[in-house]
Amino acid sequence: MATETIQSTGGADEGRRLTNKDLNTIWLRWAFTHLASMSYEKLQGHAYAWSYIPFANKYYRDDPEAKRRLLVRHSVFFNTEPQTGQIINGIVTSLEENIALGGEVSEEMPNNIKATLMGPLAGIGDSIIQGIIVPTLLSIGMSLASGGSPLGPLFYIVAYGIIGPTISFISYRTGYKLGVGAIDVIVGENARRVMDAFNVLGIMVVGALAAGNIALTTTLNIPLGSEWQPLQTTLDGVFPALLPLIAVLLTWWMLGKKQFSPTKVIVVLTIAISALCLIGVF
Amino acid sequence: MNLALLFPAIMCGVFCYLGAIESCCLLGMTGGYYIMGRPLVAGLLCGLVFGDVTAGVLCGVAVQAVFIANLSTGGATNSEITYASYGGIGLALATTRDPAIAVTLSVLIGQTLGLIFYNTRMAVYSFFNNGAQRAAENNDDRGITLWHIVYPQVCTFLIRAVPVFLIVFFGQGVVDALLNSVPEVVTHIISVLGGVLPALGIGMLMNIVIKDKMQLVFFLAGFVLLAFAGLSMVAIVFIAALVAYLVYLSSGRKVAEAAVGAAEGTQASASAVYEDDDLF
Repeated sequence: MATETIQSTGGADEGRRLTNKDLNTIWLRWAFTHLASMSYEKLQGHAYAWSYIPFANKYYRDDPEAKRRLLVRHSVFFNTEPQTGQIINGIVTSLEENIALGGEVSEEMPNNIKATLMGPLAGIGDSIIQGIIVPTLLSIGMSLASGGSPLGPLFYIVAYGIIGPTISFISYRTGYKLGVGAIDVIVGENARRVMDAFNVLGIMVVGALAAGNIALTTTLNIPLGSEWQPLQTTLDGVFPALLPLIAVLLTWWMLGKKQFSPTKVIVVLTIAISALCLIGVF
Repeated sequence: MNLALLFPAIMCGVFCYLGAIESCCLLGMTGGYYIMGRPLVAGLLCGLVFGDVTAGVLCGVAVQAVFIANLSTGGATNSEITYASYGGIGLALATTRDPAIAVTLSVLIGQTLGLIFYNTRMAVYSFFNNGAQRAAENNDDRGITLWHIVYPQVCTFLIRAVPVFLIVFFGQGVVDALLNSVPEVVTHIISVLGGVLPALGIGMLMNIVIKDKMQLVFFLAGFVLLAFAGLSMVAIVFIAALVAYLVYLSSGRKVAEAAVGAAEGTQASASAVYEDDDLF
């Protein structure tokens, strides 16, 4: 519906639409400063107001009241994964352009879209970037760095230095091109299937991360026949990395079921590990 | 006091600002938190300013293993990775250059000092937000720039660069104390804790990706592929991609079946009614 109104206003106002340079300005402004004034209260909120200042000065030079409304409505709480989340910034750009050109999009629409999409995009973006891409590239980098070779860190810098900005740019341009149509792409039936599949990929990689990166071995000995054997040797024979698995499942349970904050979990872990170390389990 | 440490200590402080999650100098989180903030990269950079790249990278790899699943969701974080990276690796390179010491220092700094600074800052920066809000209401472009970028970034620079500089420049005593007078059981607890800490980041990731308990089976599959079969991460990513594709295909079938099933269901119940009619 609203997609058509955007196209219909396009004809008369063709000359006043955002140029390529305008789009890059908004993309870069948001990309650089999304968390610049990060607090629990607003997180990425004010980055929108700052990113749209040139936009406001282009369209609302003679209408300070409209500019004020734009800046105020883009000073509310916002938080998402900031690279994939550029899709939302792109959609907002297309909506704001429509509003500025006198289209039929209401002034509440951009914030409704932001509030609706920031949660789903944070979920999928965090699981792809923090759950899959970064740990995988780091694992490769760490194996290349064996013996202290700078090749490992350099590989990671170059690899993420290409992948991160590319995801950000493509997300922004996709959001702008599709406008509100992007919502179907993000929350539609097929999108849900793709995201569920990516999620499965994420879960498996996270499982491997858990097996490879948590180090916990017991120093207990158990009587085996006539002599005492290290318990760890027996555990390794039955289920390698059993203790790390138990540790991660307990942590997950505290975070998910008990709703502990990460800081509270750190306190619990520190106390538990200290006690178990003192009685000689680890 | 060792004046030769002055330059590397200053640089560690500056890097700690550049790699911060809220730093705006390197394409936001993309070049800051995700590149400069990683201990693997911090090891290389600290190694360069201390003139010992090999030791730096070795420390970086050791610390990275502890912080591999570091993440930030909704502003909450499991450890302050940037203070940990540049404080821990920087101080280790200024003293013993031993990766194990780097890990101990990073865990200590990241979990105590780092988290305290981080949470305080996240609460206090509401003050800057109020300024930016007022500026927006007054149509004040320059005010938004000042309150959204200039003031918070200057403040961030100070609360990142200064403590890390002090740690690296004056931390020799802490390391000596750790090595000499702190009981062995305490350093042992810190090293065990360092091994368990990735569980927290991974638990936070699980909280995001696992939507119902049955999906734990995918987690266990990934776990055993590494723990039992000993595959590398890259191999597991490809196998996981295959499984994900199969899930995608089968979910399509489920949707189609649900549609067909719904249609058949109405027919079946209609015929069941018909049969019932027949019986009685």
